[in-house]
Amino acid sequence: MHEDKPTSDVPMIRVVDVHKRFGDLEVLKGVSFDVHRGNVLSMIGASGSGKSTLLRCINYLEVPSAGDVLIDGESLCYRGNASGDRRPRSPSEVNRIRRELGIVFQQFNLWPHMTVMGNIVEAPIRVRGMSRGEAEVLAETCLARVRLLEKAKEYPARLSGGQQQRVAIARALAMQPKVMLFDEATSSLDPELTDEVLAVMRDLAHDGTTMIVVTHEMSFARDVSDRVMFLHNGLVEEDGPPEQVFGAPRSERLRQFISKHV
Amino acid sequence: MSDSLREILDVGVFWEYRAILLQGLGINFLVFFGATALALSLGLGAALLRVSRFRPLRALGTLHVEIFRNAPDYVMIVWVHFVLPLLIGTLLHTRLELNPFASGVIALGLVYSGYFAETFRAGIEAVPSGHVEAARSLGMGEQLVLWRIVLPQVVRRMLPESINVFISLFKATTIVSLIAVPDLMYRVSMITQQEMRPLPLYTGAALVYFAIVLVAGTALRAFAERWRAKVI
Repeated sequence: MHEDKPTSDVPMIRVVDVHKRFGDLEVLKGVSFDVHRGNVLSMIGASGSGKSTLLRCINYLEVPSAGDVLIDGESLCYRGNASGDRRPRSPSEVNRIRRELGIVFQQFNLWPHMTVMGNIVEAPIRVRGMSRGEAEVLAETCLARVRLLEKAKEYPARLSGGQQQRVAIARALAMQPKVMLFDEATSSLDPELTDEVLAVMRDLAHDGTTMIVVTHEMSFARDVSDRVMFLHNGLVEEDGPPEQVFGAPRSERLRQFISKHV
Repeated sequence: MSDSLREILDVGVFWEYRAILLQGLGINFLVFFGATALALSLGLGAALLRVSRFRPLRALGTLHVEIFRNAPDYVMIVWVHFVLPLLIGTLLHTRLELNPFASGVIALGLVYSGYFAETFRAGIEAVPSGHVEAARSLGMGEQLVLWRIVLPQVVRRMLPESINVFISLFKATTIVSLIAVPDLMYRVSMITQQEMRPLPLYTGAALVYFAIVLVAGTALRAFAERWRAKVI
């Protein structure tokens, strides 16, 4: 039903005034933005700026203290009814909505007791209810996209960090998510292994995948994203197309950040 | 060697009664498997309570562990066999009796659930939280995460160290003879009273238990290490 509408109408992700506090510490102080279908948004900022927390709020791994996240127009945090009341979503509703979002973590988080194939088919079978045969065909196409088809029968412990991260990407892709979230996906890799992961992420972006990428890789942010957002102290300090953010930063903080990281 | 010493050490009498004794050993195994099943299920339950988000549930889990892990096997067997039925019977205003086999299984199951709970808990806490987050982000619910992601890793991690608990439990099955469960040890005592030859009979029993624990323990350890090596 959504397909009939002009696709640019409803943003794929709409973040509305999201706050997050841990005790007395307010990590996010009201962040709002939209990401449209097929766009790539990079979030940059010093550690502690709130960018990872923001990404985790988008798929409810952290529950926002206030505000809401809309995924393809559907609220992640609240269920509205005809009379306009808003109630918090139940865990099973959250699970249903969040599987539209694939997330790739800094620490890969592959399940060590399952083979590469087992890792990828687990959620399609158990959550989407696919047959094993269907799921394995799907898994093979996902593994081909990350160029690791030949490793299907290996256990994660036998793979390099870069290969593990590519499997983690394939695992997220197998749920056929509407959006892919990357939480510093290359930060725990040796420099010589980051390129193979970044190459896969570039391919995904070229194929029109909607992506939100938290990264320290400034060249990736500059070359691949449609938009770059600079976070500082839990707020969006600056935001715009990469040429503008990197070429003509307005704030002093962003200028300092860029001179340190580029 | 003097004749009298040779006669004392002659384990022929043990061999003579092999059919009856083997049946007794079968009872040891039945008690072992019954108590293991009970200890593992109760232990898992107590461990899940101990890692719960809710403080009263955590306290309940801790209480379970402390009560049963600190109770001597023999005291627990006697208590379950003689006191527990009386207690429940009084509460329900009926006469209740437990057969010795059931008492043995329940008592050992309770005691060893305390040990398994601690092993399970350590295993659950050793699973990186990222593995759980990855599963949740793919839309897996609590039950799926527990049964598909957490517990399979817990079992692989805890198997090597729980082998010692299995061994202790198997050895503890011999004290059910004290409430007249007809296990190997019980039968050996009975035959001793008839034959008046305690030395070969008790030595034979000791050797049988020793051989079983040695062989099973060694095989399990080798298997557990290989299984774990593949994963971690």
